[in-house]
Amino acid sequence: MEEFNIDIKNNNDITILYLEGFLDAHTSGELEKSFEKLIEDKKYKIVVNFEKLSYISSAGLGVFMAYIETMRNNNGDVKLSNMSDKIYNIFDMLGFPILFEIYKEENTALEKFNQ
Amino acid sequence: MTNANKIVISSSTKNLSKVRNFVENKANELGFDSNEINQIILSVDEACTNIIKYTHNFNENENIEVITELKNKEFRIIMKYKGRDFDPNKMQEPNMNEYFNNFKVGGLGIPMMKKFMNKVEYIHVNPDMNSLTLIKSIQNTR
Repeated sequence: MEEFNIDIKNNNDITILYLEGFLDAHTSGELEKSFEKLIEDKKYKIVVNFEKLSYISSAGLGVFMAYIETMRNNNGDVKLSNMSDKIYNIFDMLGFPILFEIYKEENTALEKFNQ
Repeated sequence: MTNANKIVISSSTKNLSKVRNFVENKANELGFDSNEINQIILSVDEACTNIIKYTHNFNENENIEVITELKNKEFRIIMKYKGRDFDPNKMQEPNMNEYFNNFKVGGLGIPMMKKFMNKVEYIHVNPDMNSLTLIKSIQNTR
């Protein structure tokens, strides 16, 4: 079975989620749990780094849709960064850049929170 | 195409990676580029996920048969499974602006399948057999 891992780091009041592997209907529950924990801990400023993510299906996309409103309602956001072209194409073809800020570099996403 | 052109999985999301690997190998042999391969395996993943979740209600005693074939310059991935009649072609396409404005969740699997594949064919045979075929054309330039 293909693996999925999440590594979490904090940068002041911003939490960075590093996704790795394959995010599908089987593994998306793990990402949901991470977001639930962030909300429980009142952490609403989130950057998701996709650099090591190899694959995403609609189950993965659904997790971001499920939590972005809560984060924004609490003066936070879910900003996305470091996507491969293959992953970005999926987000782009469905129109996700309408709702989500997507940056090439994690640093740019972090800076946007501090502006 | 070489090797077996069929796998059978039990209806569980833990088997999605098996299906993706199987279809990826076949698509590779046909010379699709990496972007097309991703679109194909994603479409098959979405189709199988819907069958597992909505047709089989995560019942691992059910099976999905996944067959690949090359016919008339088309790569065809056929999923055969038992269950109720549901034709994805009859599902209304979501308005994506409305989708994002209302922070909707879910319902993107079928639109993705239709966007990424050239054709989606569905046949229901009474009482409970279904055949869902995803078709990707092979470009003449290849």
